[in-house]
Amino acid sequence: MMHNPENLVEMRGIDKRFAHVYALKSVDFEIRRGEVHSLLGENGAGKSTLIKVLTGVYPKDGGEIYFDGKPVEINSRDDAFNLGIACIFQELSLVPTLTVAQNIMLGKEKAKLGVLQKKSMNREVSELIKRFDFPLRAEDVVETLSVAQRQMVEILKALSTNASLIIMDEPTASLSSKESEMLFRIIGQLREKGVSILYISHRLEEVFQLSDRITVLRDGQLVGVVPKEEIVPADVIRMMIGKELSEATASRPLKVSDAHTVLQVRNLTRLGSFEDVSFEVKAGEVLVLAGLVGSGRTEVLRSVYGADPIDSGTVLFEGKPYRHSVSTAIRLGFGLIPEDRRTQGFAPLLSGTRNVAVTNYDKLSRLGVVNAKKEKQLGETMVKLVDLRPANPTVPVGNLSGGNQQKVVLGKWLTRDLKVILIDEPTVGIDVGAKDEIYNFIEQLAARGVAVLLVSSDVAEVLRVATRILVMRNGKVVHEFNDGVVTQENILLVSSGMAEDHRTEAKE
Amino acid sequence: MRQEMLRRYISFGLLAALVLAFSLTSEFFFTSNNIYNLLRESSIVGILAIGITMTIITGGNDLSCGALLGLDAMVISRLLYVNEANVWIAITAALAVSLLGGLFNGFLVAILRIPDFIATLSSKFVFSGLTLMFAIRSATGMITTKTLSDPTIKWFGGKLDFGLYYVTIAFFALAILSQFLLKNTRLGVHTYAIGSNRNSAELSGISYIKTKFAAFVMSGFCAFVGSLFFLGKIRAADTESGIGMEFQAISAAVIGGCAFTGGRGDVVGTVIGVLFLKVLENGVLKFNLSTEMQKVLTGSVIVIMLVFDAAYNKYMQAKTSKSAVIAREKREKKVGAQ
Repeated sequence: MMHNPENLVEMRGIDKRFAHVYALKSVDFEIRRGEVHSLLGENGAGKSTLIKVLTGVYPKDGGEIYFDGKPVEINSRDDAFNLGIACIFQELSLVPTLTVAQNIMLGKEKAKLGVLQKKSMNREVSELIKRFDFPLRAEDVVETLSVAQRQMVEILKALSTNASLIIMDEPTASLSSKESEMLFRIIGQLREKGVSILYISHRLEEVFQLSDRITVLRDGQLVGVVPKEEIVPADVIRMMIGKELSEATASRPLKVSDAHTVLQVRNLTRLGSFEDVSFEVKAGEVLVLAGLVGSGRTEVLRSVYGADPIDSGTVLFEGKPYRHSVSTAIRLGFGLIPEDRRTQGFAPLLSGTRNVAVTNYDKLSRLGVVNAKKEKQLGETMVKLVDLRPANPTVPVGNLSGGNQQKVVLGKWLTRDLKVILIDEPTVGIDVGAKDEIYNFIEQLAARGVAVLLVSSDVAEVLRVATRILVMRNGKVVHEFNDGVVTQENILLVSSGMAEDHRTEAKE
Repeated sequence: MRQEMLRRYISFGLLAALVLAFSLTSEFFFTSNNIYNLLRESSIVGILAIGITMTIITGGNDLSCGALLGLDAMVISRLLYVNEANVWIAITAALAVSLLGGLFNGFLVAILRIPDFIATLSSKFVFSGLTLMFAIRSATGMITTKTLSDPTIKWFGGKLDFGLYYVTIAFFALAILSQFLLKNTRLGVHTYAIGSNRNSAELSGISYIKTKFAAFVMSGFCAFVGSLFFLGKIRAADTESGIGMEFQAISAAVIGGCAFTGGRGDVVGTVIGVLFLKVLENGVLKFNLSTEMQKVLTGSVIVIMLVFDAAYNKYMQAKTSKSAVIAREKREKKVGAQ
């Protein structure tokens, strides 16, 4: 095989399977020396899997990796580190209670007989800081620094190990525009010094500002590698979505329902999560909150449910305010299907019956004593209601498949007299067949007159179930799609900030 | 201001306030005799607390060090009384037992990956059991306590001419050494790093296993030093010696600023914590207040410190999330201006 000497990293025919599902299928990927290379794709396209293979977190199932023209095996993060691959994940890899200098020199401290040469380490780190003109001091303790400053520490740490490739995963997610610009300037400096940058961001404007080349993945496969000059954002979005979409999910007609309003949210704000969010959900509607991960949608859902506090604004249920607590919400007829069902949705060691009974003990018990017969009946009802497989409510839920676990979580609420259901990313990690069943349940609920508020990052899913769509970005509602026909491209353009924002008011 | 600094001022302020209050209200409190005795009382618990501080900073704990102190004391007593061994041989044997005890804890935690709390709780029972096995028995098999008369052992209970006990000197010397170890050596930085963010520390090439072993061996060494001065003072070991001391030591570390989640605290804080506990105990005795009162006060102070930590963390989180909002607003404005 011919190697291009310009390439620092070459990945050839990378395969990665989880169970029988291909997360990456024969992906080719390369990064040149001193280039900024962006990796794009929708959630689940395989971006993070590819990075995890490159950094030794996941073993690959097939293919080869060449670094500096030589074939290499990367089996652990240590291997990646030793090759000169550094990864900047948010601010997580620093030790908060140590100083900047101690963090940068961690594991390679200068010491005589074990006694630290603090002065000389501080001096060395100060020089490194000066070279990049960062607003930092070597003696600062990391936990007192801002997120942007912590990233700078991480970059310095990577550089002090002579990293030749720095991977940045959503580095601007919590930076101000001024801080982001400083980061972009730093990226420019690094490129001039011959360091390669692998840049991952949902923000297309940044990607186009920074990158030399862009690689797009979809469904675990390579769609294409393009120099930035040769394309426009809309092309990239088309590459991300793919062209061979079936008509059913490519677009969807929307309309405003004329049923009565069940849930009304006015100017809801939770500092640091979302601001001034207003919307209403009518009986039988499926209102989808679309947008990028981290745009504040989950937080809105949790606050409406009473699980997280709010700083200002009101939530009305059938026109009346209610006490902000989970128990009140449940009593009024709210249900929540949380984002991460493993940690928030069910108790894995308990049976299906017990899991469903948890939200129904008001009906199952008297003076705190549970009526075992009623509980058993409830379990059997749930099995029929959600078509649980195996049809046995005594199996611990942790032993069921992902789809059936989600059915049990649905069952917790379907067995109640539900008025509002809040659903967060309902089909993550669920196979295609079970996905359809879950969509059917959502549609059945809506048909029964339940108000459905759903968060989804899967644009095809949004178009499958929505009757109305709000797009959130950076904690704010930036757009509403409420009539006409909407396509995946529309939603993605608005979500990533590449289209004009405007919010058309819902027709009364 | 950083949490550490604030905590230092608060715990030191509490200690100063307590000393001041007792000095003003009791003529007996601030006498040299009472102060030297008070320091003597603090020193053995203090020596154990230094070792515990090391283990807590790694994100762990050591519930076994009190029992290990008792085992060391029993080993020395038995060798001297039953085997009539040379005193230095007895002391060396105790040192070996202590270091082995530390290695055993390290093995349970770092190699077998048993959580510190459970691992050291188990080894505490192992050490107490061994103490019982080594206990000196009369001809009928009853456990008896024998007073030692060895001059070297007696020396450990001695004091300088003006009244300062050797044990206090040893406590402060050990404290200074270990503070230096934590703040100025490679091992010290690694101890904080493992406790504060283990993943990052390991990715920087720091060995979790070595660091954990080092902390437990140091804790074992502290138990050994404590046992010498314990014998010097009491002159005899019984089957219950040292047991329960670890809880006073843990309390002192927490009052001094150690966080159970690791990465926070130091020996200076722990010394303040020990002195605080013992001044409180001493004052309560001098005032004929009930020991119940003393326990309630100790518990309350620990709760106040933990409430402070929680409040501080919440405040820092709110500050960070607010700055994120401000950052976001600036970004929006900028986008709007373009």
